[in-house]
Amino acid sequence: MQVYKLILKILYKNRTSMMIYMGVFLFFAILSSASSNNSEITTLTSTKIKYGIINSDQNSEIVKGLESYLNKQAILVSLPKEKEKQQDALFFRKVEYILEIPNGFTDSIMNGENVELAKTTVPDASSTVFMDMLVNKFLNTTKIYSGHAQNLTQKEIVQHVQSDLSKMTPVVFQNDSKGKNDNFFAGYYFKFLTYSQFSILILGICSVLIVFNNTDLKKRNYASPMKLRNINLQLILGCVSFAIISWIVTIIPSFFMYKSVMTTKTGAILLISSFLFTLTALSISFLIASFIKSRNAMTAAANVVSLGSSFIGGVFVDQMFLGKNVLTLGSFTPTYWYVKAVDSLVKLNQFHYVDLKPVLNNLLVVVGFGISALMICLVYLKQKRQSF
Amino acid sequence: MFFHVFKNRIKCLFRDKQALFFTILFPIILGTLFNLAFQNLNDIDAFSKIKIGMVKNQGYQSDLTFQQVLTSVSGEEKDALFQVTYTSEQNAKQLLKEEKIQGYIFIQDGIQLVIKEDGLYQNIIQSFLNDYKQMQYTIASILKENPSVLESVMKDLGNRKNYLKDVPPGNAAPNWVLNYFYCLIAMTCLYGSFWGLREITSIQANFSPQAARLNMAPVHKLKVFGASMTAAVAIQFFEVLALLAYLIFILKIDFGNQLGYILLTCITSTVTGVTMGAMVSSLIKKGGENFKSGILVSISMLMSFLSGLMIADLKYVIQDKVPILSYLNPANLITDSFYSLYFYSTHDRFFTNILILWGFNILFSLATYFVIKGQKYASL
Repeated sequence: MQVYKLILKILYKNRTSMMIYMGVFLFFAILSSASSNNSEITTLTSTKIKYGIINSDQNSEIVKGLESYLNKQAILVSLPKEKEKQQDALFFRKVEYILEIPNGFTDSIMNGENVELAKTTVPDASSTVFMDMLVNKFLNTTKIYSGHAQNLTQKEIVQHVQSDLSKMTPVVFQNDSKGKNDNFFAGYYFKFLTYSQFSILILGICSVLIVFNNTDLKKRNYASPMKLRNINLQLILGCVSFAIISWIVTIIPSFFMYKSVMTTKTGAILLISSFLFTLTALSISFLIASFIKSRNAMTAAANVVSLGSSFIGGVFVDQMFLGKNVLTLGSFTPTYWYVKAVDSLVKLNQFHYVDLKPVLNNLLVVVGFGISALMICLVYLKQKRQSF
Repeated sequence: MFFHVFKNRIKCLFRDKQALFFTILFPIILGTLFNLAFQNLNDIDAFSKIKIGMVKNQGYQSDLTFQQVLTSVSGEEKDALFQVTYTSEQNAKQLLKEEKIQGYIFIQDGIQLVIKEDGLYQNIIQSFLNDYKQMQYTIASILKENPSVLESVMKDLGNRKNYLKDVPPGNAAPNWVLNYFYCLIAMTCLYGSFWGLREITSIQANFSPQAARLNMAPVHKLKVFGASMTAAVAIQFFEVLALLAYLIFILKIDFGNQLGYILLTCITSTVTGVTMGAMVSSLIKKGGENFKSGILVSISMLMSFLSGLMIADLKYVIQDKVPILSYLNPANLITDSFYSLYFYSTHDRFFTNILILWGFNILFSLATYFVIKGQKYASL
């Protein structure tokens, strides 16, 4: 097993750059799981809009009433004092709706006079439409009371308005299967690992093959008493075991982070899928490595392929947010099909053949990519050997 | 002499394929990928007419007022809330299942809303339906207090007022996706540190044989170094301009229209990148060029990360929680310069950023100068 040992030695010498990608992966995986607590995938109060109020009027019952009404459907965030910082907050969506209550607002409303509130919002956003509805509804109702029931005090008006506005239309949920929250987060983890797997495998396989493809070394190897078949066999064995090790290292954290998912059927299928993807990435790395001659080109290829496929395949940005053209482009990468498989898998509650079919079909395409990359690679190597 | 060195250094640097890849090709590829992946991201929260279903059953046919109210907020007009499909209950269920509609309205013993999942659009539909229901309660409760005002209450309900007026948030649309592209330029400028590293390697006699030879030449070291740093800055500036042109003209990224200030930012941050590379690589005595470029990549990446290259929010969070860090991070200063040119109507913050960047430029240059000046070697 001299060749096999050599491969492990080469890989060990090149471990630093591969470990960087592993570090990047773990960093983002942990970061995304840490932010998973305030997710958006829950029940009817989840999509709360962040809004801020600047009150230049007295702290009257009406202002308080408006605030407490809005707080039922939105989240009041405290605004920074400086105008520029408020702008920053809006730009980065830390607040989506800023409402300014002008001086004399309460009196105007009570006396039925015209009054305008300034709003600073994300233009044309749905959040703006929703908040506009709420504010106008409260003020219109208040005005009707103040205009037609003169003997009511501010406090009584607000009580009436709040009681009216608490009447809700009943909402019925149509029962369709929907996956559990944890599944989605495990899904993110398993989608994200395509990035690190691609980088690590390309870097690893390239650094091995660059050595083996060195013309002088190749001539020397051909002259050795070891059969070529034997050398190649060990080479393949070495690369496959490298891929398996890198897969195992990548998936271990998932058992700690998503324990509840990893012990279910979903977890098992995620593991199988990621393993299939690893093998495909391995054969694509092999293909890339057989074309690459220098270490500089190797870093470039690793970066471009891993980042490129992750961006257009829907790893960094969900596939549903990608444009049609981008998705078409993405469908030429195995990452796209793998992400599709994971996305449909995490939604599943039942695991009959019919439910699993889309997952399996997408995984078949992933494997197809692997096999075809391997074929092209073999044909290319055969031709190269003959011209040698 | 100056021009001779300058010209030859340009030639040398242009042959460094790896540095060329990371300083121009890589940012262009990354920019293209950003553009492909993020093009729809800012529009996710843009409002478009909500598709709803209305079940045409007995309940609907008999509620004429609701029919009127619903027609008034739906239709082809641009500011309509809903696009309504009138259909049977069976069909509505199917449409909802296929996510062709966000929800459907069903009238039987009162109005009901059927939805599949919860979201902002569903909230808007519910809020509209609530409105209809709540109005009835308002009328009832006012009439209880004062039965004589029915007519004027109905009139007031008919012409509901809009109490809100729009104040634009800044100089331009608050499109947070832009921050990724501003960060990308910052990253590119910091990658300019590779050129600084190259220049130090080829002028410090203990770093390369070529530099040892150069030190023997009867020319003042500062003169040679000045010329070669100018060459490095020139190449990097050219690359940043190419990237900027690609972003503005091909990808149509919005940088505002203050071209002069944008160029000022570019040249300032180019100098920052190159001098930072020179300083770091002159300070690190051990380790080869690869080790140093590894360090430079890590520093540049960390700085770009902290200014929002991977997660745009991070820039805001740091500015909010640890403001000092955002002033000490060149990548953030560069990103923020582009951002303030785009979003603010005033230039205070922009000039603050540029001034601090020049502060860094001078600091980096001086540090480099003191390390490389007048070094003598007992042996090499």
